[in-house]
Amino acid sequence: MSLDLIEPILFGLLALAIVGAGLGVVLAGRITTSALLMAFTFLNMAGMFVLLGAETIAAFQILIYVGAITVLILYGVMFTPQGPRAYGLFFQKQTTVGAVIAALAALPVMAVAFAFRDAGNVPPRGGDLVPLASSIFTDFAFPFEAASVLLLAAMIGAIVLVKRE
Amino acid sequence: MTTLVPLGAFIALSAALFFIGMAGVLVRRNAIVILMCVELMLNATNLAFVAFSRRLGLLDERGSVFVVFVFVVAAAEVAVGLAIVLAAYRNRPTVDVDEVTEMKG
Repeated sequence: MSLDLIEPILFGLLALAIVGAGLGVVLAGRITTSALLMAFTFLNMAGMFVLLGAETIAAFQILIYVGAITVLILYGVMFTPQGPRAYGLFFQKQTTVGAVIAALAALPVMAVAFAFRDAGNVPPRGGDLVPLASSIFTDFAFPFEAASVLLLAAMIGAIVLVKRE
Repeated sequence: MTTLVPLGAFIALSAALFFIGMAGVLVRRNAIVILMCVELMLNATNLAFVAFSRRLGLLDERGSVFVVFVFVVAAAEVAVGLAIVLAAYRNRPTVDVDEVTEMKG
């Protein structure tokens, strides 16, 4: 019985960490703090994927988000000097309007979000790697190839954009 | 299979993180922080995709497939986004999006 409570407790801890670190990304004054808190958010999100039973997605999450994207962002931070204006968060003209718009948009969505109910008869299943792979390489083979073209285009585009004459 | 945590809780967490990221995009003016907040929003949608995929009783993993494509798009987006930030920084030494006004009509 006490074993059943592990799932809600884990969900609560992970949700607290995700929301807290997410707020930290927005509110932190130092940009390096923001970047590391973003990595922490992604790490906790990987735990949430494991809780949902999507272990493969959790592994991708750690490899791509915590590994690649955080390092890329940290390189961006290092290549650009961060001036004192990064600290002047709440004294800018669009802050109030932006926060009000985000809150107004959030309220109805949050109200609807809790209304979703689980389907009654979800069949138990094992890991998600085999169905994921068979979906990607059968039904989604063409989008998969298109994604590789997108990655190639992004790579060439990024190189061309930052290339010196 | 015990499902003590309802689907709605996952969707609400996803929505909360999405709007935290949206507030960050609207409020922060540092281009790199804005990129980070866009990543938060993309990751929040991933949680919604996985939750619906695992909990709505469908037999395949279509939601998880979409998450893989979101990963691809997020990686491409952050690479091109940082390249644009660095290129704009070379023209005008600032990462503040309010000061990059060359394309304003």
